[in-house]
Amino acid sequence: MSVEEKVIKIIAEKLNVSEDQVKPEASFVDDLGADSLDLVELVMAMEEEFGMEISDEEAEKLRTVGDVLNFVRERVKE
Amino acid sequence: MMNGIPPLRIGDLTAPIPIVQGGMGVGISLAGLASAVARAGGIGVISAALVGFYEGEAEFFRDPTRANIRGLKRQIALAREKAPEGIIGVNIMVALTDFEPLVQAACEAGADIIFSGAGLPLNLPELRPEGSRTKLAPIVSSPRAAKLVAQRWWKKYGCVPDAVVVEGPQAGGHLGFSVKELEAPESRLEVLVPRVIEALKPFEDRAGKAIPVIAAGGIYTGYDIYRYLHEIGASGVQMGTRFVATHECDASPAFKEAFLRAGKEDLTIIRSPVGLPGRALRGSFLRKVEAGEKRPYRCMYHCLRSCDYRKSPYCIAAALINAQRGNLEAGFVFAGANAWRVDRIVSVQELIDELLREYHQARLEREGGNP
Repeated sequence: MSVEEKVIKIIAEKLNVSEDQVKPEASFVDDLGADSLDLVELVMAMEEEFGMEISDEEAEKLRTVGDVLNFVRERVKE
Repeated sequence: MMNGIPPLRIGDLTAPIPIVQGGMGVGISLAGLASAVARAGGIGVISAALVGFYEGEAEFFRDPTRANIRGLKRQIALAREKAPEGIIGVNIMVALTDFEPLVQAACEAGADIIFSGAGLPLNLPELRPEGSRTKLAPIVSSPRAAKLVAQRWWKKYGCVPDAVVVEGPQAGGHLGFSVKELEAPESRLEVLVPRVIEALKPFEDRAGKAIPVIAAGGIYTGYDIYRYLHEIGASGVQMGTRFVATHECDASPAFKEAFLRAGKEDLTIIRSPVGLPGRALRGSFLRKVEAGEKRPYRCMYHCLRSCDYRKSPYCIAAALINAQRGNLEAGFVFAGANAWRVDRIVSVQELIDELLREYHQARLEREGGNP
């Protein structure tokens, strides 16, 4: 599974939405109905899956699916 | 047990009376109230919100962060002096701008325990200085939040909360629920408490220690205490409203009288600039806000991370400070759902005695006479 596919799968699972709803432009709060606890869970799941740390400042900037995809791509490359 | 009520044990701390006095800001629970509760055998809690204001206004406006840190340390020292044997806690909201330095200051000043809600205290353990014995207790409003915090602490810091406060929808002040959730049957405190206990169980097992759960929000009598301790499974209760109506409460007499005057219909839910709903008493100030009156201001207090003062209809710091001082025309009073039941002001010791009497009465009724 590619990094992108993993990210989309985690998001769909955590937010209880279908994978086709998880489009890069989708906002977690406005489009996918996430609350503040969902966002924390999501960040923790990403940290676990990819073995990285996401700081609070970084986490605050992750508003859309695309933000997370870009962030994880960058980090995994490093 | 000496009082015939099970003590509240949090690590090496033992409160003979399993009652935590809820932290109440701004300036409602300072060293005066906290030390009185600690002396009576409960856990007294100082509110850290804008505590620097009581260092003097000039001092505060010159450097709010510095004044808050100094003020918090001074209140802790003062409470300790008045209640050398008692347990002194501090309530520090995650939403406070000075959250991090205030946690450090509380640990340095030797607070026994920090209670932290109004946001998820995910990084609380890393703020506690090495070697500090201060206990850390998140305040949550759902089993999900309890689990998230415990999971985060365990994974990142290898520790678990020393205690967890579950604040239900009947609490006063800021509430960890949406307005819709407030009325939902699954949000009721008696439903939440067992579910939080269950959510924390795996972490108790992993860490090999108990995580006492403290029930909060709407607990009013000794009968309520009996019910939460013996029928619902809590290890302690947190109470706020009852302690407002005490001589030792640090608010002005006019603030306390607002509780005496309040009827059921005066309790209302506001949208606080913290970004959470809050339960308060509706007075002339909130009536004007409800009617759409705006009081534009320049931010002088820098108290909350989440407050966008250009969008907020009024300054919550100024409003709460005004109310604390008794100027209810220019501020409002946070209060629990049972605040309308308050009918007299007593001493903290009298209140504790009354609660214990009711507790024993409840015990006698449920368990039968077995002295």
